[in-house]
Amino acid sequence: MTILYVLIPLALLLLGVAVWAFFWAVGNGQFDDLDTPAMRIVMDDDDKPDAED
Amino acid sequence: MSRYYELRQAPDPGVGKPPDETAEWQLFDRDDMLAAFATRVDDRIEASLYVGSMYCSACSWLIETALGRMAGVESADVNPVTHRLRVRWRPAETKFSAILATLAGLGYQPQPLSPESAVRPEVAEQRTALKRLLVASLGMMQVMMFAVGLYAGDFQGIDVEMQYFLRLVSFVVTTPVVFYAARPFFTSAVRGIVARKPGMDLPVSIAVGSAYVASVYSTFTGGAAVWFDSVTMFVFFLTLGRFLEMRARHRSVDRSIALSSLLPNTATRIENGSNVVVPISRLATGDRVLIRPGDAVPADGRIVTGDTRVDESLLTGEARPQPRSVHDLLAAGSINLDGMVEIEVTGTGNDTTLGIISRLSERARYTRPAFVTLADRIASYIVVALLAIATIVAGSWYLVAPERAFEVTLSVLVVTCPCALALATPAAFATAGSRLSHLHLLLTNGNAIEALSRADVFVFDKTGTLTLGAPAISAVQVLDPAWSDDDCRRIAAALETASTHPLAAAFHYDGALPGVSDHQVTVGRGVSGNIDGHVWRLGSADFVGGSVAPEHSAATHVFLGVAGRSVARFELEDELRPDARSTLDALRDAGIGIALVSGDNRLAVETVAARLGIDEVHYACTPADKLAVIEAAQQRGQRVVMVGDGINDAPVLAGADTSIAPAHGALLAQTSADIIMLGDSLAPLVTALDMAKKTMRIVRQNLAWAIVYNALALPLAAAGFVPPWLAAIGMSTSSLVVVLNALRLSRFG
Repeated sequence: MTILYVLIPLALLLLGVAVWAFFWAVGNGQFDDLDTPAMRIVMDDDDKPDAED
Repeated sequence: MSRYYELRQAPDPGVGKPPDETAEWQLFDRDDMLAAFATRVDDRIEASLYVGSMYCSACSWLIETALGRMAGVESADVNPVTHRLRVRWRPAETKFSAILATLAGLGYQPQPLSPESAVRPEVAEQRTALKRLLVASLGMMQVMMFAVGLYAGDFQGIDVEMQYFLRLVSFVVTTPVVFYAARPFFTSAVRGIVARKPGMDLPVSIAVGSAYVASVYSTFTGGAAVWFDSVTMFVFFLTLGRFLEMRARHRSVDRSIALSSLLPNTATRIENGSNVVVPISRLATGDRVLIRPGDAVPADGRIVTGDTRVDESLLTGEARPQPRSVHDLLAAGSINLDGMVEIEVTGTGNDTTLGIISRLSERARYTRPAFVTLADRIASYIVVALLAIATIVAGSWYLVAPERAFEVTLSVLVVTCPCALALATPAAFATAGSRLSHLHLLLTNGNAIEALSRADVFVFDKTGTLTLGAPAISAVQVLDPAWSDDDCRRIAAALETASTHPLAAAFHYDGALPGVSDHQVTVGRGVSGNIDGHVWRLGSADFVGGSVAPEHSAATHVFLGVAGRSVARFELEDELRPDARSTLDALRDAGIGIALVSGDNRLAVETVAARLGIDEVHYACTPADKLAVIEAAQQRGQRVVMVGDGINDAPVLAGADTSIAPAHGALLAQTSADIIMLGDSLAPLVTALDMAKKTMRIVRQNLAWAIVYNALALPLAAAGFVPPWLAAIGMSTSSLVVVLNALRLSRFG
């Protein structure tokens, strides 16, 4: 059980990294538009033009 | 790229581009312009652009690909819905003007946006809310894991050291949840105390704060229990509820934001014959502005030269391109589709139709529905009552079983949080307002939904409401067989070309017109002009001569004559809106009484009433008469909705329980109507009525749910049957049920 004394702080560290990464992404506007990505996947299927042009 | 042009159905905006455009773009390479429109990130530059004339998602693909191929461009991201492009480039390898020129070369009209306009307050609010939500959710998940260990330890036994360690890490994780994620609750609670109006955040804060402090104390003194799991769960669910409510609120203002973002940042002003790019804030009435195909119109104005078609769909809901030529008005924010035009500015900024619409929807945001105010007031009393109950519970338990007193009191505080009650109404109203704006009904008064839901009678005005307000020729009677029907229409159209009379538009003729010389307008009587050596007159019977107007008629009569003889008689009638009949039928089916009031003569009003099947008709009404009709209905106990343009009868609109007015350009600014119809269609009235009824139904459901839940949960918690974590789940479920129930409205209609 003593391994927990290492693993839990490690998990907390990873948690901190995850929170930091999320804050960074929010600050960069990654989550400003929560509506269009959901629509976009629908549009792409039909509308994506040919690769060669 | 061959498929791109197949995909693209909209007219190609690239037609008619002047060659001197690159010179204009080079303006944006200047340092002061770059400072205004772009931000420097290390050695790269990033700019946001509004890309006009983007009609399909193939456009976003084309832009991203074309820019991605340019040397020096690092990234280009297009949002096809908001028409925004974010581009980042290395200034050493390429220039802003080259990017703008590439976009223009593809046929788009790029419009650099200043960074201030890129981050709106709503966006900032959403960013903070997202961060708080994430901290609360991750914190909750972590603390739950530790809590499972601690609970298991309670049953199976656990090392004191391990227990202390798990409590300690729970404390470490809970701290940011309480101090960061839950901060809005504390600040709002303090604000409530200062204003002597305790809101629902007060019991929330007391619960969160006391549970946290007690848990910390317990952690460091080796106490019997910690409540970190309950704290984080409570904060997470509250934050989630607030987040959903915020999204509903934002969606309802999206439209006004969408409206203000329709305006370009710069305009091309014509100064002494040369084109100068200026920020639109510097435009003034009387300026000449050049609008290229694909551009958004920067200000209200009248066309001086050029013909085009414009897309006004975002302003009026009219999806078809509208033809516009010399003397026609263009509204700021509409998109110029296919011709290059020069306009003379008639209004800028807040004075434009767009500005007025935005202002009116602001007004709705600041009037809180009476229902919501009432709920808020009740909530204050409830909060005080709950705190009293919690104190009594704490005291009683302290006397009976002091070791459980804190836990039970905490449960009572958490489980009875009147969050559902406070969220029930605003969430529903916000969602309903947002749906209405999608139907091109603009709410300018927050109380309108409630009043509309109880409507018994719709009173319609005639001109401009049931009719289009634009007269058209309904019949031509040729009085002199030497001329054909077509000749008469052509000659009349030619004579009316120079007239600005409202009736003149009715004589519009598609085709070649004969030349007119010696054009003369006799105010109030008619126009005359020389065609092929003869003096023709168009106007009233005595102006033209040789005939008399029929005495009783629903139509307006205009005569065409030459040399004192009448040649033709035109009957002009104001056309009914195409969906007037079906809308009235649908309203009748919904059990709504219909009445028609109009200032027009008996025959005109009765003709319209007969065609629409209206029984209650009031003609030749002054505004006072109209008001009397409404008041009479109200005295019979009916709720009256007045649908009229309110040009002369603001008191009539104000006298009705709810007023709905069609948007008529310049008169929009003075309107006192509760709801404004932006399109030409009457059909949304029916949907709005259903919507209002459904909204009030949902509000009642929500309130009933909140009251029943609290009535059941309070005795159970006070009796000590509900542990704090269960209380947190119960309360949160109750709030989420309420918010999700309100969000159902967003799928309506």
